[in-house]
Amino acid sequence: MTGPILTPSQDLKKPARNCLSPAIQDILKERGFEELSTTQEAAIPPIVQGNHVLIIAPTGTGKTESAMLPVFDRLKKSSSDGFRALYITPLRSLNRDILSRMQWWCERLDLSIGVRHGDTTQYERRKQALSPPDLLVTTPETLQALFLGSRLRNHLKNIDYVIIDEIHELAGSKRGAQLSVALERLVEYAGEFQRIGLSATVGNPDEVMRFLVGNRGGSLVDIPVAPHIQMQVSYAGDEFSGQVKAVERCLASEPSTLLFVNTRVTAEALGHALYGRGDIDVHHGSLSRDVRIEAEERFKSGVLRALICTSSMELGLDIGHIDQVVQFGSPREVRRILQRVGRAGHRLDTVSRGTILTTGFDDLLESMVISRKAKANECENLLVPRGATDVLANQIAAIVAEYGEISFPKLNSIVSRSYCFCDDDELIQRVADQLTVHRLVRIDQGMVCRTGRTRMYMNTNLSMIHDERSLLIIDITTRRAVGSLDQSFVVTWLHTGAAFIAKGQVWEVLSIEEGKILVEPARRLKGELPSWEGEQIPVPFAVAQEVGKIRRTREIQDYAHDGRCLKVIHEMFGAMDHGNHLLPTDQHLILEYFKEGVILNVCGGHQANEALARVISILLSARFGTSVGIEVGAYRILFRLPSDVRSADVLEVLETLDPDYIPGILQIALKRTSLFKWRLIQVARKFGAIDADADFEKISIHRMLNLFEGTVLQDEVYRELFSESMDVNAAQNIIRSIRSGETQISLGPLSPLGNAGLSSSHDLVAPPGVDQAVLRAIKNRLEQDHVLLFCMNCRKWKSKRTVARVDDEPICPLCGAKLIAALKPWEDDLIQATKKKNKSEEDRAVEIKLLRNANLVLSGGKKAVRALAARGVGPETASRILAKMAEGDEFYKEILKAERTYIKTHRFWQ
Amino acid sequence: MNPVFVPDGPALLMEGEIRLLLISDAHFGGESELERRGVHIRSHSEQRLERLFACIEQTSPDLLLFLGDVKQSVPVISWQEERELPSIFERIRERVPMQVMPGNHDGGIGRFLKVGELLPSEGILIEDIGFFHGHRYPAPALLGHLIICGHHHPVASIYDGVGYPVRAHPAFVLCETTGCPALNPPDDASLGNTRFLIMPAFYEFAGGVDVRTIKQSGLSPLARCIDESTAEVMLSDGTYLDTIAGLKETST
Repeated sequence: MTGPILTPSQDLKKPARNCLSPAIQDILKERGFEELSTTQEAAIPPIVQGNHVLIIAPTGTGKTESAMLPVFDRLKKSSSDGFRALYITPLRSLNRDILSRMQWWCERLDLSIGVRHGDTTQYERRKQALSPPDLLVTTPETLQALFLGSRLRNHLKNIDYVIIDEIHELAGSKRGAQLSVALERLVEYAGEFQRIGLSATVGNPDEVMRFLVGNRGGSLVDIPVAPHIQMQVSYAGDEFSGQVKAVERCLASEPSTLLFVNTRVTAEALGHALYGRGDIDVHHGSLSRDVRIEAEERFKSGVLRALICTSSMELGLDIGHIDQVVQFGSPREVRRILQRVGRAGHRLDTVSRGTILTTGFDDLLESMVISRKAKANECENLLVPRGATDVLANQIAAIVAEYGEISFPKLNSIVSRSYCFCDDDELIQRVADQLTVHRLVRIDQGMVCRTGRTRMYMNTNLSMIHDERSLLIIDITTRRAVGSLDQSFVVTWLHTGAAFIAKGQVWEVLSIEEGKILVEPARRLKGELPSWEGEQIPVPFAVAQEVGKIRRTREIQDYAHDGRCLKVIHEMFGAMDHGNHLLPTDQHLILEYFKEGVILNVCGGHQANEALARVISILLSARFGTSVGIEVGAYRILFRLPSDVRSADVLEVLETLDPDYIPGILQIALKRTSLFKWRLIQVARKFGAIDADADFEKISIHRMLNLFEGTVLQDEVYRELFSESMDVNAAQNIIRSIRSGETQISLGPLSPLGNAGLSSSHDLVAPPGVDQAVLRAIKNRLEQDHVLLFCMNCRKWKSKRTVARVDDEPICPLCGAKLIAALKPWEDDLIQATKKKNKSEEDRAVEIKLLRNANLVLSGGKKAVRALAARGVGPETASRILAKMAEGDEFYKEILKAERTYIKTHRFWQ
Repeated sequence: MNPVFVPDGPALLMEGEIRLLLISDAHFGGESELERRGVHIRSHSEQRLERLFACIEQTSPDLLLFLGDVKQSVPVISWQEERELPSIFERIRERVPMQVMPGNHDGGIGRFLKVGELLPSEGILIEDIGFFHGHRYPAPALLGHLIICGHHHPVASIYDGVGYPVRAHPAFVLCETTGCPALNPPDDASLGNTRFLIMPAFYEFAGGVDVRTIKQSGLSPLARCIDESTAEVMLSDGTYLDTIAGLKETST
């Protein structure tokens, strides 16, 4: 039974201010808050009433104070030992900021406050253990640590309030799932406490509420963002130097700007280009803490005019007044642009202004769509991960470490209070069983107990964030390090001869050993490294489809844009029309062929396209026995294929694919891919199967991963991939609409739009079985083998060439006869025997053999030549093979059989 | 003697006057080594043993010859091996007589073996075919014959122009050596060149050494003398792939 989610009515008798005690009201005046913001007005009363409350509101509307003022009020009214309120935020840097604001309040109210996270000093931690502050500001990971010390556990008893800031960041991730279990573990010590969540705008607030309160009831305070946002879409050009100029024009119009970019690489590139000005700096997660703090300070003090930043700046870190937000390149998601633009403006309830600088045709249309949706408050839904077995494994181990031993009923009762794991008793059992295989826990007469490894596992696995060994990339031509990559990534994606991109350059792997990847600049551009690093934000299906609709209807008047945008759009339409190219739209898919393969233009968004790409590629690879390289973007899928697989073959696959089979095909398709194995290693870490510092070098990690077949580990990888990386439903719908005729497909040569490039994921799909690939390899080997052609008619013509270059019906160029023997290159001396005038017994036998050979070629043509090229196959064996009348693959299988027999019996062994 | 490939070993049966089942690099006890390296899984000795029994069933040998590295731990014997090896050997002996050619990981294995089961590590000749582990030089008496060995854990990958559809598949390497006088046959008209047949590892978690890199691997004196232009690579079912040189060429 789930508790109700209420929206508190606005017509309360008292204004919010009067719900607070006079002491607080005085301090409010002191801080200069004459009036409370809309958010505060709405949120304070239900909190004062003691409800669980989820506050959804834009940044800069005073969410933190909405939560903290009533909590401070209550804290003043009573007193008790230990921690009394927890403030949880996802980032350590946010902690610092909240701390300074809270410190101001706490000083005046005579409440104690402390911060605890990974960087907190031993001294500070010890102080907190001995005399715990009333309010503890901390991260989800450090909360995990609080359960591990008996003294700290004792301080949890009187916690009455837990505030979770930036809850939208946590609710959609495994960190959040882990936190939700931690909260239920806290209930065991503190009893039920009041839960307050602070969130940015999301499409499905009810889901976030469930995440916060589980089965309990709660109040929802949802403040719409649209009235606060004003957005403009501009075109910055598709070429970097022009884009830089566009950025500079934007910066000129306001004194302080936050410039958001989508990847760290872009941040560095722009930072480098604008460095000379002296008033711009870069801020992102890879930089050291000191560097980041310095940049923040300089911006706050006005020394810097602009900060170039990535998503780490989305959260509410206070860096002073921001006049405008500029987004470089499409923000991909509505909620992202809402968050980012919401950083602009300072005083409560002012309008935030933002500009999106677009960098290409797709980018432009996409930004226009997102801009429209932002104004209409059409935000994406958050997906709360439910039943994530690696989180469950981590928390079962943590609970066992906490209690020493615990019964299944008690374990179930704690865990199933969390929304992420309710009604999962059976899953809990399966996960616990799996943990025993890896010796992380023991099960003894219905009790789950710790082992020697449990505590050590907890020390290195407090967080769900992955921490592992990385390997240096060394360029052998310069002997310098070019960067580094995580070990699990290297093991699953790279191999000798693979090519990848780092520091903007393409490299080829020469060897991987001793913790280093030796590379050299790549000579060819195949097979770039996928970027699954979490920086890639997927374009949702709905956005991609709407872009497709604009392409189809060509109606852009309802979208925010400027004159230059209009020009660019008309130019692209013009170029496509001029070249007689069909435009791919939401109702029309176009297959385009080019040198390396085929591009499928489909406006599916990243996740649906990922699913489609994998289904199509596994079907192609199984049919043709070849690897298929895939590169997936929001509007296109590129298939790297060998030259004998054509666009018509891809079309056939699309047209005959039954959408109901897609999930099943994906199950098979994913298992052998790098993506799957990489995720599996991460999950295995959480199960204690692989230590953080394990050394994979000499181990066949690929074989080991097979051990997890059919286990909860594999289940989790599938769950994750199916819910987060791929949108199977949307892919099925695309196929259905092809079948029903709603969506057309056409073939064509490469168009300007098709060629516009792909952005994100790459992978290699191997055929599901080994046999096809082996067969294909044998065929190639035979084609490359050399044969010696000798005319048995005139006995004069001899030619050595590869099988590939033999005609279907060989003819002697000297005498015109078709009686040609196909010999192995070392059988040259046999030819001498046939030329003699006086032949011996032996020579006669050789001649007969060669005639038999030539007769075979006469009747069998090139097929006979192929058979005769195989190892240990002479005319007798070849004629047996040909007599079987096998075609295609069957023919080659007969050849393989003959070769195997030869190996078994030939006198080489004696 | 004639070879019969047993792909689901991988193993090799040599049929001559006696039927000889060869298993190389079984590495029982390997899981405790994995544990030391930070990978924690259950012992798979039972499954490995079942696989071995299946090979015995399939081939009805007169003798099972372990071609080295039956166990894993160097220099000591791990707790896992201590516990498991005695019963593993007992259960094998119930089915077929066995002998062990000791490898570099087999220090101390004599403790678990009966008299006559431990062979000299420089190798032996059976019906004019040599057998030794492969980590050092073979005994001079073996030169000029076909010598079957293990130690190198060869695996083959197939490159198809776009990627590697077959990755690290256990493989056999049949080769001659070049530039290594110590491996040349003695002056004896009845003997041919010394040829080596390198067996893949039976142990399922061995990373394996790609056949294209065995020559540079430094794993043994034999490795560096392999003549890649004529060395033949076969999959564990006997399918001939190509020469090492040929494989190197197609993958670049």
